[in-house]
Amino acid sequence: MLSIKNLHASVEGKEILKGINLEIKAGEVHAIMGPNGSGKSTLSQVLAGNEAFEVTEGEVTLNGENLLDLETEERAREGIFLAFQYPVEIPGVSNLQFLRTAVNAMRKHHGEEEMNAAEFMKLAREVSKQVDLDPSFLKRGVNEGFSGGEKKRNEILQALLLQPKLAILDETDSGLDIDALKVVSDGVNALRSEDRAILMVTHYQRLLNHIVPDYVHVLAGGKIIKSGGRELALELEEKGYGWLGIKDEETADSAAN
Amino acid sequence: MKPAPTLSTAFLESAGQSLPKPLLDLRKQRGTALVDMPLPTRKTENWKYSSKYLKLTEDMASPLPSQGQGMTGQDVPGYRIVFLNGVIQPEASEFPQAAGIQVTSFRDLDDEEAEALAGQLDSTLDDKAVQLARLNAARFEDGLLIRLKPDAVLDQPLFVIHEVTADASGSAFPRIFVDAGRHSQATLVEEYRSSGSEPVMVNTVAEFNLADGANITNVRLTMEGDNVQHIGATGVRQQRNARFESHTVGFGGPLRRHDLQVRLEGEGGECKLNGVVVTQGKQHFDNHTTIEHVAAHCNSEETYRNIAADQSHAVFNGRIHIHQDAQNSNADMNNKNLLLSNGAEIDTKPELEIYADDVKCAHGATIGQLDEVSLFYLVSRGIARREANVLLTMAFINELVEQIPLETVRETAHTRLNQFFDQTFQEV
Amino acid sequence: MATTDKEVNELIKREYEHGFVTEIEADTFEPGLNEDIIARLSAIKNEPEWMLEWRLKAYRRWLEMEEPDWAHVGYPKIDYNSISYYSAPKRKEDMPQSLDEVDPELLKTYEKLGIPLHEREKLAGVAVDAVFDSVSVATTFKEPLAKAGVIFCSISEAIRDYPELVQKYLGTVVPHGDNFFAGLNSAVFSDGTFVYVPKGVRCPMELSTYFRINAANTGQFERTLIIADEGSYVSYLEGCTAPMRDENQLHAAVVELVALDDAQIKYSTVQNWYPGDEEGKGGIYNFVTKRGACIGKNSKISWTQVETGSAVTWKYPSCVLRGENSVGEFYSVALTHNYQQADTGTKMIHLGKNTRSTIISKGISAGKSSNAYRGLVKFGPGAEGARNFTQCDSLLIGDRCGAHTFPYIESKNKSAIVEHEATTSKVSDEQMFLCRQRGIDPEQAVSMIVNGFCKEVFKELPMEFAVEAGKLLEVSLEGSVG
Repeated sequence: MLSIKNLHASVEGKEILKGINLEIKAGEVHAIMGPNGSGKSTLSQVLAGNEAFEVTEGEVTLNGENLLDLETEERAREGIFLAFQYPVEIPGVSNLQFLRTAVNAMRKHHGEEEMNAAEFMKLAREVSKQVDLDPSFLKRGVNEGFSGGEKKRNEILQALLLQPKLAILDETDSGLDIDALKVVSDGVNALRSEDRAILMVTHYQRLLNHIVPDYVHVLAGGKIIKSGGRELALELEEKGYGWLGIKDEETADSAAN
Repeated sequence: MKPAPTLSTAFLESAGQSLPKPLLDLRKQRGTALVDMPLPTRKTENWKYSSKYLKLTEDMASPLPSQGQGMTGQDVPGYRIVFLNGVIQPEASEFPQAAGIQVTSFRDLDDEEAEALAGQLDSTLDDKAVQLARLNAARFEDGLLIRLKPDAVLDQPLFVIHEVTADASGSAFPRIFVDAGRHSQATLVEEYRSSGSEPVMVNTVAEFNLADGANITNVRLTMEGDNVQHIGATGVRQQRNARFESHTVGFGGPLRRHDLQVRLEGEGGECKLNGVVVTQGKQHFDNHTTIEHVAAHCNSEETYRNIAADQSHAVFNGRIHIHQDAQNSNADMNNKNLLLSNGAEIDTKPELEIYADDVKCAHGATIGQLDEVSLFYLVSRGIARREANVLLTMAFINELVEQIPLETVRETAHTRLNQFFDQTFQEV
Repeated sequence: MATTDKEVNELIKREYEHGFVTEIEADTFEPGLNEDIIARLSAIKNEPEWMLEWRLKAYRRWLEMEEPDWAHVGYPKIDYNSISYYSAPKRKEDMPQSLDEVDPELLKTYEKLGIPLHEREKLAGVAVDAVFDSVSVATTFKEPLAKAGVIFCSISEAIRDYPELVQKYLGTVVPHGDNFFAGLNSAVFSDGTFVYVPKGVRCPMELSTYFRINAANTGQFERTLIIADEGSYVSYLEGCTAPMRDENQLHAAVVELVALDDAQIKYSTVQNWYPGDEEGKGGIYNFVTKRGACIGKNSKISWTQVETGSAVTWKYPSCVLRGENSVGEFYSVALTHNYQQADTGTKMIHLGKNTRSTIISKGISAGKSSNAYRGLVKFGPGAEGARNFTQCDSLLIGDRCGAHTFPYIESKNKSAIVEHEATTSKVSDEQMFLCRQRGIDPEQAVSMIVNGFCKEVFKELPMEFAVEAGKLLEVSLEGSVG
């Protein structure tokens, strides 16, 4: 489904990704792990088409189509979904209005009829229950005044509504307590299907206890330095990033404390 | 419509001839330019709230004596320059002697140096905005020139004591020019004092020219008596990555006006302006600040607090101007005011003028009284009402006083603030 | 940033849709202003002697006044003698006695503007007074309103039919000498709307005036007076459009509102005067004085405005809060684009005890426009316990426009509390990225974000107008990305 070949990307002239190679097939769940600053988030932003990042080399195809030629919104309509690490607030724009606009943009793209407000309201209420978000959140501004956990659940809510082909989850577990983590994981697991792929980006393996990946890759210094099955994550958890000869500031800090 | 009043020509006659010729020439030329200068009225936008306090009588036009019995600033330790009625008193002063640092009286400059200086005076000020402070260039009798060579660091703060002796009516026109070279660093304290009780005017200008990476801290204490009308202007120009920090503490008077103008002309510049004003009786104080974000990627942070008691009147006008090419500017202005009595008045005008789109600008302003709930809380714990008032009033400004980087100045400020509290909050 | 600007700017390229000219025979005064012109104007309107005197007094006062220059706007000097001060559609009779007698060409004009003057259809719940150039051409729903005791008519009729009410209140809120433009209006106002809601009456429907400037080289000087007697309530809307002409046209209106004890007036404006073309040519100079006096205790005046039109706007709908516990509100969205200039805001003058006011101002600048908020919050010595909250936010679209904030805050009462906040921001890259990542078009994203920015104000508008305002904003923003 997704094929990444020798991807290089930089931000403000500084190279962050230095040759990423990755193949993801439909139905698979991949996890990318790595210390802070390894380029994990950059990879997800580049795939979604954030113009702040410049692709300097390499290619990315989605079902054989060159992804890098597409605008952000075109990629979204082709099925790329990014659950943001830090979802931005859009004051005054109601979640419901935002979601319906997005869903209808998608439907229009696929030649389907747009949903009217009543139909959509019904759908959105159902899905919001699925991620344990009170339907009152639908009427509030997009992410406006949401807690960290609520924002993350709102991201999953959107994934469930938009039914992407490839869902990229960027540090979706960060800042979640164990109950919220469970809710979010259940949401993600509900997304798993034969014709959909999931790419999780995470620092810790905690999330992987709930969403079990088929493959685990370790990203460091802008490259994938090791790939394996889910046992790789457990090994990493046990031995730390230092085991692979990677300096992880955060781990080092917490050890010192 | 009757014509607006103009500045009496008596104010344009300068007396002392002790300056080097280029400066005398400059003074004369500036004097000529000010003939028929209209005095500010209620309709002059930037004097709207203050013109009624301005009372320049003919007898205030004459210069005050440049020698005499002053307090001479002996109480100030370390480097100090003493101005008496606008003229430096070398015997009372303690000039810094350090490599790369020139600290000189305008009177001691040779013609070449004076020529160079003449080309720089008033270059940091916006002529139109400062109006009355332009009079300084037509009347100064002396001045302090500080030139810091690149990388020069002044090891201790330099205190400049501005003293006026108001035994007769008249005016004083002290002035300071600081030229801070690349990556130089200095702290300059200006302290304004007075003795005597005749009506006088202090008309003072301080200018700071900061080259790339220069770092200057300016502390300004305005503490003259209730017979002194104070008109002051401070102009600052900052090049790349230069940093300017200003702390002003002002006590009211019959007329107190300070214009502070900062121009961020190089990328990465930063300024921080803090101000505290307290007024009581029938006093007045008016702070006008302008921050010009000319270059991109500059930060400015401004915090002013006014406290007005009795029948006094405090004014704040803060203007932030983001020029068209000043993308990625960050500007934050905050002005809070405390009205302690119903006869007092506070006027504030925090302005934003923005021509670039990628900026973060915010301002906030409040006017209110001491919080009754907090007062009650303190009193219910057995604290005397007067004490509770003092505590809460001090809390309103303490954050700013504490940021003044010099212990001795903080002490001076506290002493004067305590006098203010004693007079304002009577024992019940 | 570059991308966002591009997108926002591509968003907007629609023509001003109300720019057509109505071909109609008109009686138009020759340009010029003097006492004779004023006498002729007064005569043509069959005004009583006192009215003419009132006008002449205003004119003499105006001659001594100076045009204000403090606003953050620039325009060439206006020659007040080159303007025609009266233009009205020619009619055989004095006034049409019913809607059937109104010139069909005029009915068509209002139809085209979406303001049908039939008492049915879309705006069935709204009574309309239609002002065309200098005169009121029709007022709908007069009868049901009269049943409720509400007087809703043109000010010319009111001067003839209700002189005691007009004489009692006209000029009490905005006196002759108030400002240059108000002085001019007092001398030459040609028509406008009069509303009186008697004691205890809740006006049964929305009242509205629709202003249309048609003739060339004329000024429009309407005068509106609304009086809400004790315990009454009225909601009033105004809309305005003008043809596209290359010359600038002057619109200098005065609106006076009076609220007695426990009365409430809600005044909403959707201002869409012709803003001039992309090069800044033509457009209306909108120099308007609007003020409400909360005379009575517990009274309330609320201004809501959506300003997207005019080449230059100079307008500060204000409240004088004299009555105890009276309330003033100001909700504003001002959008400027191309070369438009706006200097607008409000004044909240707190005189009475426990008076409260709220100011929410949203400025949006695009293109090469300049948008300034200017506001005064003043607490007099008697404003014991008064409160104000002000929030003014600016949104910039593009890097060649200006957004300014000039708040004046004056307090003489220690128990009064004012809080003022202002922010300036742009449509952020992160917001755009989030929307686009969810498959939303950049244009749609911008308009959604801008609408969200204005939401607090739109929710104050009556329903039909909120929708219209949202659409208007979209149209006005077209082409602002790019």
